[in-house]
Amino acid sequence: MDPTTLQGIAATNQWSAIGPELVLGCLALALLGLELVLPKRQHDLIPAFAILGLAGVLLAVLAGFHTVADAAEPPVLFGGLLQPDRFGQIMRVFFLLTGILVSVLGVVALAKQRVPRTEFFHLVLVITAALMLLVQSHHFVMLFVALETVTVGFYILVSYTRTNARSLEAGLKYLIMGSLSSGLLLFGIVLLYGAAGSPALPAHSATPMGFDELHAFLAANPGNFLSAVGIVLVLAGVAFKIGAVPFQIWIPDVYQGAPTPVTAFLAVGSKAAGFALLLKLAAVFAPYAPLVTAVLGVMAAATILFGNLAALGQTNVKRLIGLSGVSHAGYLLIGVIAALHGQPFAPGAVVFYLFGYLLASFAVFGVMTHVAGPDDADQPLSAYTGLGRSHPFLATVLAVGLGSLAGIPPLAGFMGKLLIFVAAFQARLYGLLAVAVVGVVISIYYYFGWIQAAFFQDPLCPATDEGRPARTPVGLVAGIVLGFLVAGSLLLGFYPGPALADLLGLR
Amino acid sequence: MTPDLNHYIVLSAVLFALGFLGVLVRKNTLVIYMCLELMLVASTLALVAFSRFNDTMDGNVFVFFILTVAAAEVAVGLAIIVALFRKRQTVQVGELNQLRD
Repeated sequence: MDPTTLQGIAATNQWSAIGPELVLGCLALALLGLELVLPKRQHDLIPAFAILGLAGVLLAVLAGFHTVADAAEPPVLFGGLLQPDRFGQIMRVFFLLTGILVSVLGVVALAKQRVPRTEFFHLVLVITAALMLLVQSHHFVMLFVALETVTVGFYILVSYTRTNARSLEAGLKYLIMGSLSSGLLLFGIVLLYGAAGSPALPAHSATPMGFDELHAFLAANPGNFLSAVGIVLVLAGVAFKIGAVPFQIWIPDVYQGAPTPVTAFLAVGSKAAGFALLLKLAAVFAPYAPLVTAVLGVMAAATILFGNLAALGQTNVKRLIGLSGVSHAGYLLIGVIAALHGQPFAPGAVVFYLFGYLLASFAVFGVMTHVAGPDDADQPLSAYTGLGRSHPFLATVLAVGLGSLAGIPPLAGFMGKLLIFVAAFQARLYGLLAVAVVGVVISIYYYFGWIQAAFFQDPLCPATDEGRPARTPVGLVAGIVLGFLVAGSLLLGFYPGPALADLLGLR
Repeated sequence: MTPDLNHYIVLSAVLFALGFLGVLVRKNTLVIYMCLELMLVASTLALVAFSRFNDTMDGNVFVFFILTVAAAEVAVGLAIIVALFRKRQTVQVGELNQLRD
């Protein structure tokens, strides 16, 4: 390699482009330093520091949003590793919001546990930064390293309450399943790399890990066996992250055992990352669209049916929300398939759905954090009886969140489903659409069972009421955040126009 | 006979399949963990072989990243297994069934 090539690559190292991620990384380290420096009674400041830092970075990203997003030709930085574009900017905002909400829930939930605090926020910051890099990746090495940073961070977070055997068990299950999916993903990447670098084939490349090079190779070699196997393995690896059937087996156990804020992070952050990757990879794998559509189509139908049917019989709300999350992954998969069919607004519909899902999920998880006792894994549906009478605010937030998840108009979840279904209709995916409608109808049953328990059921007898852990009173910050989530769900449902204008111009 | 690319790929595919099956069938968490590492090593072998025979350098560099990631994964994974063993005195998958509805 001659010096001019190296200079050319060095010139693309624009560190300011990953400034937000760098700041988050430094902030994460600073938190650990603060714990050493601050006197013990001021340790409550550390979460505030983390949340304010995340909010500051969010404001900075929003301020610079249009300079990056409106670039006519998104630049490829760091020698082809990163491509910050409009989609990346939107997802950055998404993950920063997720990070803030997880931290707020973390403050509420960790107060009930005897565990170290600082490391939780440290890990949330690191994972948020890695998620933000992941959605801007333009190269398989970048994708793999960022994804593994996220996954390893989640191993620790899931087993965070290490005095609780169930949290550890969930951590172990997530560890095995996560490593398995990483192995599949990695082997898929290796096969694609091997195929696209083969000198015997047309359009082979010296740097076959880049998305552009791989796309060019796939377009020139339709029906290459090694590439087809690689694509299926990569899709399987990502399907684990989003919890699509048949890779959903870890979801109920891990969701139940993990501390509630971590469950929320998994449900929203990890799932959104999976779909952001799928949208990116769908564009790269476009020359193999029939294969990808077949794999994802079967997956989507099975995921919707399994998620909804399995959620019907659940009595633990964390398992219920996990399995209902599986079915949401199915609806989102339909959006990805519509995007593969060239529907121009399908990627925007998927992102809009994810934002609606973020608002609704965190509203529900916020209520769950307040209702839960010291043992986070033990959250039966019966703990919610009489919530409407004793805690009207929490019950209202819960109702709006669940209603939005169920897709009741005029909430954000309804608009998200509508957009995805319209995209699917225009892409002529009638079969999948029928399955999705059946799934939505089933889901209304269990979502309303939960709302009914909160509003219309009295505690069966005082005895069960006494055995129930005390509900945490809602603090000022948590109350404001929950109110913001409800307002957001209503606003996105009533006035989706401005958000849509930004999102639908996505591609 | 000098081994060519296909030999390496077949060997790595066999190793990968062994690891994958091991994860599905074995009951001891530590053995499962070894099988997971075997899957990563199989990928690494294929990467180096592709890199050598296709004359592209990316693969060799990627191996370093994979080794680092695997080391981080093992550090966290073994810590979780040890913590779980101290709590439950078992690492058999069949006995880890406290999470249920």
